[in-house]
Amino acid sequence: MRSPEEKRNAEHAEHAEEKFLSASSARSAFHSFYVLLGKEWRELMASRAWWVLLLVMGPLVGVSFISAVRTYAEASGLNGTAVGVGEAFSPLVGIWAPTFSACELAAAFLLPFVAIRVVSGDRQSGALKIELQHPMSSFARVGAKVLVLLAGWLVASLAPAAAVLLWRSYGGSIYPPELATVVLGHLLNAGLTIALAAAMASISDHPSTAAILTLTVTVGTWIVNFVAAIQGGVWERAAAYTPTAMVAEFQHGLIRLDVVLIASALVLTGLTLAAIWARLGVAVRRRVFDSAGLLAVGAAAMIACTFATASWDTSESRANSFPEADEAALEQVHGSLHIQAHLAPEDPRRSDLEHRALSKLRRVMPKLQVQYVSATSTGLFEQNSQHYGEIWYELDGRKVVSRVTTAEGVLEAIYHLAGLTVPVEGDAAEFRGHPLAVPPKGAATVFYRLWPALVAGAAFFEFRRHA
Amino acid sequence: MVHATNLSKRYGRLTALHDVSFSIREGEILGLIGPNGSGKTTLFECLGGVLPMDGGMVLQDGRPLTARDRASSLFYLPDGIAPWPSQTVRWALEFVQQFFRGRIRYLTPSMADVIEQLDLEVILDSTIGTLSKGQRKRALLAMGLLIPRPILLADEPFEGLDLRQSRDVAQTLRAHAAGGRTMFLSIHQIGDAARVCDRFVLLSGGRVCGEGTLPELSALAAARSGTPATDDLEEVFLALT
Repeated sequence: MRSPEEKRNAEHAEHAEEKFLSASSARSAFHSFYVLLGKEWRELMASRAWWVLLLVMGPLVGVSFISAVRTYAEASGLNGTAVGVGEAFSPLVGIWAPTFSACELAAAFLLPFVAIRVVSGDRQSGALKIELQHPMSSFARVGAKVLVLLAGWLVASLAPAAAVLLWRSYGGSIYPPELATVVLGHLLNAGLTIALAAAMASISDHPSTAAILTLTVTVGTWIVNFVAAIQGGVWERAAAYTPTAMVAEFQHGLIRLDVVLIASALVLTGLTLAAIWARLGVAVRRRVFDSAGLLAVGAAAMIACTFATASWDTSESRANSFPEADEAALEQVHGSLHIQAHLAPEDPRRSDLEHRALSKLRRVMPKLQVQYVSATSTGLFEQNSQHYGEIWYELDGRKVVSRVTTAEGVLEAIYHLAGLTVPVEGDAAEFRGHPLAVPPKGAATVFYRLWPALVAGAAFFEFRRHA
Repeated sequence: MVHATNLSKRYGRLTALHDVSFSIREGEILGLIGPNGSGKTTLFECLGGVLPMDGGMVLQDGRPLTARDRASSLFYLPDGIAPWPSQTVRWALEFVQQFFRGRIRYLTPSMADVIEQLDLEVILDSTIGTLSKGQRKRALLAMGLLIPRPILLADEPFEGLDLRQSRDVAQTLRAHAAGGRTMFLSIHQIGDAARVCDRFVLLSGGRVCGEGTLPELSALAAARSGTPATDDLEEVFLALT
């Protein structure tokens, strides 16, 4: 029989041992993860697909950047062209959007193959059967691959970073918040691509099947965009969350919370799906059930995310916002505004109305209700219809109709309905742009000669080290 | 002692393992003998946790072992794989040693000893994808020996090795078993099995046909066939399967 003191001592010793083992186990798990990260990085370095991505990235960015700078310079008055358009020029739209669009291309057509190579490689070589026998969780294993792939993408992003430095050297203006927004958009897009490719590589037995499935999903999102342009309605809502639409918004300096949350949820869902299917030792039926549960939870989370209405316009030109005086005036409208536009999905006036006015209006009035009414997709055969082209505004039972699709026209209708006077905008608040009439000097050397030479040299050195 | 009871595995309508039961004793070299397609690799993959089992359980000292528990007590070395083909043998050995380094430090031989025992010095800086079948087999065996798990399950450890290499590998495995490591080897060449194993599990058509030392199996075969006992493992195997 032990005395109470002996019992206490024994309990204390047991507790201390448990604490030691737990700390030791955590250290050991961290060490294993660190070792795995190193291994994944070496595998990425040995991947020809990644070197090809890196090699192509320079010229791709170069073509876009050089062309954008030339156009920007011409609009700004280079070689005697008329000065004037440049006043409205913002580097965000004129330089960063086209330059970084090369990243979108690389993310759609090159990055999936790099991700599939990294995820499927272990399965193909049999290394997965060895690594799976470590008690590390499947999610941590997939996490290591994703971290390395993101690091690889950041290295590839040195090409657009070089474009930023070149632009700076020309004396071009850089507005950090809008540039950071573009970078964030492309990083999220890369994350989406990696998560999708990882999930497909994990589910399918062969890399070629994974590549086909990944490209099918990518093409599928383009089809959604296409159908949305014709059908409108639910398709239009869904199309707002495709990677193409997401990147386009970031490229215009707009950060929408719902888009960021949905993209993050999609990335997490893709990675968890990859982790579920990487557990070769778990019965297929169990993996199917887990996947179905995950997809249900993911879908619910994404639907919930669509209710987030916060957004931030980071563009220097306030391209996604009404003038400050108008926004202040609109905040005084407390009723529920309902807009009914009789415009077909393919009617260019509907696109004007949506992009020039309603997208800005939704940011100020989150409760705004918009309804499009049309009998056809083009509207060509509805022109004789009595109401086609009309835009009805309804606020607290009062109604007004207009046919104007510009921001000014929409605001005027709302002010009229709310009984507000049109606010006067001060000249100081107007964005005057940053015209820059310089040619893209040295850019061709950097992107077409220096970049490929550096990448080829690094690849040669790396492969020789392994040979 | 590890005891496997009623392990079963089906691929659709095909039953690959049918209520397989056997024991692994500490420090022994146990041979899993059976013709091609008898379920040897399936059994090892199920035990190693890289393939799900449909039924049965594994017990250690009477306590059930989950797949996660098994990961810390046994390691399965697959046959016919070329892991990390663009990396060197030296890197792969260092990687597995570091990656699987856990709180269990016993039974971990030094890398230099394993390299010497398996004659790997000349291929250390070669990439795994460029190795011959025999070289790759020895490199894989080195990885298995460097992973600190009390039980090593090796699938066809003599496959692709020439006579001299087979003898060297057998000697190495014996040395590690003498050092306290338990070995469970899947072998389809009965001559190799007879040379290196202490006990045998005979597998045919996914069923265990016998388990024991050569004299025990010989006696069992004699009792079943009514012929005199023999010390030829091939004859015993043919009589029991």
